[in-house]
Amino acid sequence: MREIEALRQMRTALAEQEHPDRLAMRAGWRPGGPAPRARRGWRLPVAGLLATATVAAGSAAVLSLTPDEDAGTGAPQPGDVLLVAATNALKARTGKYWHTRRIDGTIYAVGRTAADHYKIEARQGYETWVDPAGRGYPSSDDLPARPWTPEDMRKWRKAGAPSQVQIPSGDGSAPITLFMKPSPAQGRKFSKGWHSGSRFYNLPIARLAQLPTEPKALENALLDLRGDWHAYSKQATEEPLRALRGPERVRALSDVLGDLLARQPAPARVRAAAFRLLAGLPGVRAEGRAADPLGRTGTVVSLPLETTIPLGVFSAPKQLGTYRRQWIIDPGTGTLLAIRDLVARPPHGSRALPPGDDGRPRRLTVATQPDRFHKPGEVAAYEVFEAAGWTDTAPN
Amino acid sequence: MPMARAVSQTGEAPDDAKLVAASLDDPEAFGELFRRHAPRLHAYIKRRLGLPLADDLVSEAFAIAFRRRARYDGRAEFGAWLWGIAGTLIARHHRQESRMYRAYARTGVDPAEEGLAEAAGDRLAAAALGPALARALASLNAKDRDAVLLLAWGELSYAEIAAVLDLPLGTVKAKIHRARAKLRKALPEENDDA
Repeated sequence: MREIEALRQMRTALAEQEHPDRLAMRAGWRPGGPAPRARRGWRLPVAGLLATATVAAGSAAVLSLTPDEDAGTGAPQPGDVLLVAATNALKARTGKYWHTRRIDGTIYAVGRTAADHYKIEARQGYETWVDPAGRGYPSSDDLPARPWTPEDMRKWRKAGAPSQVQIPSGDGSAPITLFMKPSPAQGRKFSKGWHSGSRFYNLPIARLAQLPTEPKALENALLDLRGDWHAYSKQATEEPLRALRGPERVRALSDVLGDLLARQPAPARVRAAAFRLLAGLPGVRAEGRAADPLGRTGTVVSLPLETTIPLGVFSAPKQLGTYRRQWIIDPGTGTLLAIRDLVARPPHGSRALPPGDDGRPRRLTVATQPDRFHKPGEVAAYEVFEAAGWTDTAPN
Repeated sequence: MPMARAVSQTGEAPDDAKLVAASLDDPEAFGELFRRHAPRLHAYIKRRLGLPLADDLVSEAFAIAFRRRARYDGRAEFGAWLWGIAGTLIARHHRQESRMYRAYARTGVDPAEEGLAEAAGDRLAAAALGPALARALASLNAKDRDAVLLLAWGELSYAEIAAVLDLPLGTVKAKIHRARAKLRKALPEENDDA
């Protein structure tokens, strides 16, 4: 099916589905459109579409596959959005610590069939303080999993509101149990306290202050960062980012920039340059506005990804779908609100994996994927920053 | 999250055939069919013919479907019926479609993506294979092209394609097989595990 896969990589920008309301509106008033007779025949239902939608909202399925409701054909360039963010990042007040409170979520399907399943979000909380000298105070917080949408909540309750659910492990090994209620260990933040010598990849944190403040020069500096930049490789390879080419380099750079913007105590001018650099990465595009998992609205830029699995961790490919990563940004404050991954093409096919720890052969199949019942445009995972900014308040 | 999201069409939602029937008395019921089917159909046509034609053809396809709704007997899925109507409209632009593929193959710039502010990156990603594939697509006969693009871009199953094209399943398989052989020749040799 290689030629079908190749076709699917073609004209992907045109493959995006638009919101039906927007389509209906364009079909309704677009001048020079279809034959007047056809137009007349259609006018009646179009006029009633919004009313129908309102009535249908309670009972019928509402289809929305693109998160942005505003981006028309004259969508802004990512540069426009991020330029504003960059400018406003310069105005942010500074403080003793860069403080982040974030939740990482992964959306898992519970159930056997597309028709009969519900989705839950597995969540992990993190709170971190780090100062420009590289002293850091990380803490983590096990959060209970919970149904993802009100509809999923309804189905979970209908299933008897189980306090723990089993989900496939992703690679065919034993299923994983997720707890839907706080366990005794949960709700208590875990931390080992302060430590020094934090690093940003191989770069000591203190060196962040010396990073270039012009996008091209910043890119050049980041290309010197060393790490394992592969989504999977048989052996751990450490190399400069510069050694990568094409989409692999873009993916790695976007990871680095997301990390720099969200989590690192970088000076305002470096952050501003990072926004501009992100805007200029090949494939990054503006997508209008969307709400993050905490309901805060921001401006979206996105990048298509072959895989979203963290770089440098796995020895074999662990996903069967393709994805689109979105950065949701508050341009007004120049802060990153969230990073999330949408399913572009749901998992399909299967793939042989190298033997696992027990030496038995493994195979990656759709049935084991957390996003096996996702539709294009649905959220597979997110990282939402409840707080990401300077503070003078130390952890207590 | 406040964002409207796709949910499975089970439970209380009336099925497509019921909506068609309801629309005979209440034309507005047809609006829900538009909501359900227009985005995907539009994306598919957009990918074959570009945005302006996709807008026109989607509204024309729905206009025709609306006019003929009394004749829809529910034997085929509404989606297949609608995509069949759209297929006839797409076929009228066969030469225009081929012209765009050939221009893409010749220049490396895809006319279908023209005016798309955000296309640059995708163009870059597909740059390697796009023109060669476009040349091969231009060389396919109309029905073979329909079949293989319904599979690749429409994401339809063989059975759904057979319903849309109103052809026997075996014929659809043969068409896709033939189209794939031609497309494969356009691709560079490569080891492939997936």
